[in-house]
Parts: sequence; C-alpha cells; structure tokens
Amino acid sequence: MSFFRVEDMHINLGEFSLKGVSLEFERGEYLTVMGPTGAGKTILLECIIGFYHPEKGRVFLEGRDITDDPPEKRRIGIVYQDYALLPHMDVFKNIEYGLKKTDSNKESRRTKILDMAESLNISHILHRKPTTLSGGEQQRVALSRALVVDPRLLLMDEPLSALDPQTRHTTRALLRQAMRNRDITVLHITHDMDDVWALADKVAIMRDGRIEQHNTLQCVFNRPCNQFIADFVGATVFEGTVLPSSNGHCLIDIEGLVLSSTDHAQHGENIKVALRPENIMVFQQRPDNHSVQNIVEATLEDYYKEGILYHLFFRSGEVRIPAVVTSSAFHELNLERNRSSFLSVNPTNVRIT
Amino acid sequence: MLKITPFKTGLLLSSFFITALLVCAISALFMVPSLEDVMANIWNEEMQFSLKLTLITGVISTILVMGFALPIGYTLSRLDFWGKGVVKTIVNLPVAFPELVLGLCLLLLFGKTPIGKALSAIGLDFVFTRKGVVAAQFFTALPYAIRIMKSTFDYINPRMEFVSRSLGYTQFETFIKVSLPLAGNGILAATVIAFARCIGTFGTVLILAGGSYMKTETLPITLYLNISYGNMGMALTSGIMLVVVSFVAIFIFEKTEAKL
Repeated sequence: MSFFRVEDMHINLGEFSLKGVSLEFERGEYLTVMGPTGAGKTILLECIIGFYHPEKGRVFLEGRDITDDPPEKRRIGIVYQDYALLPHMDVFKNIEYGLKKTDSNKESRRTKILDMAESLNISHILHRKPTTLSGGEQQRVALSRALVVDPRLLLMDEPLSALDPQTRHTTRALLRQAMRNRDITVLHITHDMDDVWALADKVAIMRDGRIEQHNTLQCVFNRPCNQFIADFVGATVFEGTVLPSSNGHCLIDIEGLVLSSTDHAQHGENIKVALRPENIMVFQQRPDNHSVQNIVEATLEDYYKEGILYHLFFRSGEVRIPAVVTSSAFHELNLERNRSSFLSVNPTNVRIT
Repeated sequence: MLKITPFKTGLLLSSFFITALLVCAISALFMVPSLEDVMANIWNEEMQFSLKLTLITGVISTILVMGFALPIGYTLSRLDFWGKGVVKTIVNLPVAFPELVLGLCLLLLFGKTPIGKALSAIGLDFVFTRKGVVAAQFFTALPYAIRIMKSTFDYINPRMEFVSRSLGYTQFETFIKVSLPLAGNGILAATVIAFARCIGTFGTVLILAGGSYMKTETLPITLYLNISYGNMGMALTSGIMLVVVSFVAIFIFEKTEAKL
C-alpha cells in the first residue's frame, strides 16, 4: 500500500471543484502538482490537510484512512505562498508555536529551533517580527515552522512564486538541501518548471478539477498523454501511423514525415508521438555522420528570443516542428526566417505516448 | 506641493465646512452654560444618579455586547451555513430601525409574549427596570459591534488559522491564540463604539425601561426630562457629560490602538 493515497476525491466549492482526483506516492518522494489557475490545486491541498471535507472520496496516509480526522490530528504541514506567519509573534515564537504541542520541554524546543534556524540560515532574525522580514526570510521562517514539528507529509502551495528571481533561486537550493537532509515526503504546487526540474521526483498535471497525468518527471515530460499536457510541459504531440520496419526500430509516418523510434508499436497502429524541442538538433548542412538519424529538411517559419534561448518553429511539409537553441548557436547557424536547415532527432527521443 | 484643482477645492471645502459646523455645535454646548452652573449641576443628586447609572449600565451592556459580537462576528466571517444571509440581515436590522421602534418591539417581547413571561419568572424582568436599560442598550449597540467584528475577522488571513490547525491546535485553541490576538484593534474599536452607543441610547431605553426620574434615568433621559421641564442648565450639563465620557472613551481607544 502506498504511503499516501487520495481516492476519487470530489468537492464543489462553487468557483473551484475537484472531480474525482486520485493520486498516490511513496514515503520520501517529492511530488509537484502543476496546472492552470483555477484547476483546483489549492483545494486539493486543503482537502488533504482537512480544512475542507470532500463530498466523496477518501484520503489515506501511512495506510490509515484520515478523511474524517480534523487537521490538528493529521500531522501534515503546510507552507503557503503568502507565508501566513503570525504577525503578533516574533520569528522564534512562530517556529516554536507548533513545537509547543509536541514537545513540553522548553530547553529541547530551543535546541530544535536553533538547529532548524541554522540549517535554513535564519539564526540572525529569530528575535524579529515577521513584518520586518524580506519575502525570502519570511518563506524560510514558514518552512522552518512547518519542518520543525517533523510532519508526516509536507504540503507547499507555490512557496517560491512570490519571491524575486534571485531569492527564488537561493531559496530553491536551500529547500532542496533541507528536503534531502530530512528525507521528507512533499506535495508541492507550482507554476514554475524550474521548481519541477530542481525538486520533483514525480509530477501531476491538473486541469478543471481532475488529474490529467501523474507519473515520474521523465515520463510526463517526455511522454505527455495529450496535447494539453504537452503544451503545459513544453513538448509537442503528433499523430502518426506505424509503418513496416526491418531494423527493429519503429517507423512512424507523421503526415508524410517519417521518423524512427526505439519505442515499440504494432504495424498499422495509429499512435501519438511526443517530441521535446530541446531534443531537436539543428544543422546548417545535411549531416554526413551515419550516427545521426531522423534527418529532416525544414524551413524556419518563425522564432522568438527568451533569455539566452531562441525558440524556433520549423516546417517540413504539413508538420510544424518546434526546436530550441542557445543564442550563440542561433548566430553560428546563421538562422533566418524562410531559410532551410536540417533537423535531426535521436530515435530514443521520439516517444510514443 | 499639492496642485489645487476645482475638484480638489470642492472636496476640501465640503470637508472643512462640515468639520467647522460640528466644532461650532460641540463648542456651543460648552460655551452656553457658565462653569459655575455646570459644576453645581454635576454635584446635583439627579445628575450623580444618572451618571452612575449610565456608566454602570454602559459597562455591563458593553461587556454583554462584546460577549455576543465576538462569536457572531466570527461565525458570519468564517462559517458558511444554510440561512447565513438571513441571520446577517436580522442581526443587522436594528441599525436601520428607529430606536423607538426597536424599544417598542422589545417592550412587546419582554412584556406580553411567553418569552417575556418565562424570563420574568426567573427574575429577568426588563420592562420599566434597570435591567431593561441594559437590554435596551444591548440590542441597540450589538449590531454595530457585530459589523465591526465581522469586518475585523474578514481582514485576518484565514490561512494563519489553517496553519495553526495544521500545527496541532484545535479550532477553539486557534480562535484564542491566533484570531483573537490579531483582532485586537477591531475588538477595541467595537468596544468603544458599543460603549458610546450604549451610553447614548435614548429611544430604546425610554420605551423599554420607561425613563423614570431617579429610577431608570440615564444621561440621555436626564437631558430629555430636564429639557421638557425647561431646566436648560441640567440638560446642557448632561449633554456635556455625555460628550466628555465619549471623548475619554475615544481618547483611550486612540492611545491603546497605537500600542497594539
């Protein structure tokens, strides 16, 4: 039995609802939940922790049904985007607040708080009121407060999204370190792909009160099960037909564009194929190296720059293929709109979903 | 430097006009009677009785008002339940009621109905008694305090309470340790407003408690009775006393609010 399991959870709060959410994960795993605004992510957290009682469905933790337990009995911690620190208490008392319920020894509490403060680099602000702290400091205090009571499961609702990019980067690193040291089980809601890449073992994608796909990071990013998820995780899904093949690879016809894949499917089967733009290699000349496979001549239709990356959109016949290159590669390849280039993708990166 | 436009001038003029008018009105109360008259009237037996009754009933009513306004305000802010809209409208209704009508309703409730008779049987007789003064003040001030408490709890981030629950505190413990301390300023404001409403209640007290000389006579009743007799000195002094008590309450509120 899984460490944590949600079974067919339904709730309707008017504006937000859950329509049969099921998910499970194991002790020590880090699950990120992504989805557009209004998908029901926060409601899911608040049902798991017990602030709302689901109209239907059950929640199991360590094999026990906790659906009817009040939040104070569940030992599930929560960290919010807006920190929710108690403004009438200083940082020390905020962290001590939950500990008072589990540890009656003042000296032991003090030791735990000082250790936690040191590990999250907030020892110097223990005497200050939350309103005098920066966003990053407040988030570290909120995290300390949740972790110091040793929760069985930690829920985080966009914990880094209110921080500026630099602070977000350092807090994410600190968060990763804190989680690794504690072997804690986490469910983390985020909109930020960087959070997912840096922290997650598993990803669940939500839409309209439902989980659309829930699997390992690699699986969801490389094999999105539909176009919505593909769009969400930055992949592209094509529909194709499996052709007869002789070399053991699967040949797939995508509107006249034939690609070879190391995945398997039956001849004549209609399938969906996912490609990630970072797996598309771009060449100025046709590569003559035999190890390069799946070579396609394509015309650059459009591109835009984002940070140090260029997002490129090629067309080969009826098929539009997105790719991404660094700024320096873009200039080295001398890429221009309506100019032909050669694309290649390794058969291991042509994923049948 | 603020650029003066006709719109801003209009806004400022309307603010200053009303402020000046109020200052003149309040000053008139203090200017018209002589200091000797006011001092003599303050030590008058009727004034002493009235002041004492006003303060005692005002304090008791305010405590009762806050005792109900806190849970009702919290309920209306935090809980969703069937009939919430109706409850909200009914508890707020006395704000829009003329005090005399509210007094009449209470007079009928405590006088003629089974509820009134049942309360009377256990010694809670509200009609033409000092307990009636408290009841009248209570029902007049309660909706104001509820409104302030509801707004106060609305402004407290419910996630602070959620986090408290997740850290092992029950809903009641969370209310005591998180919601109440954070509502400090609102509680203070509601207390001062409730007290000011209680000591100033006239119509409801007059109808329910009777406004009898030296029996159920609060400061507003003293003002009314003496102005009816033509005793302007006593009427003005009771007006001054009401303004002073309200001023002291507001002053304490401002000082305490700054510390919270």
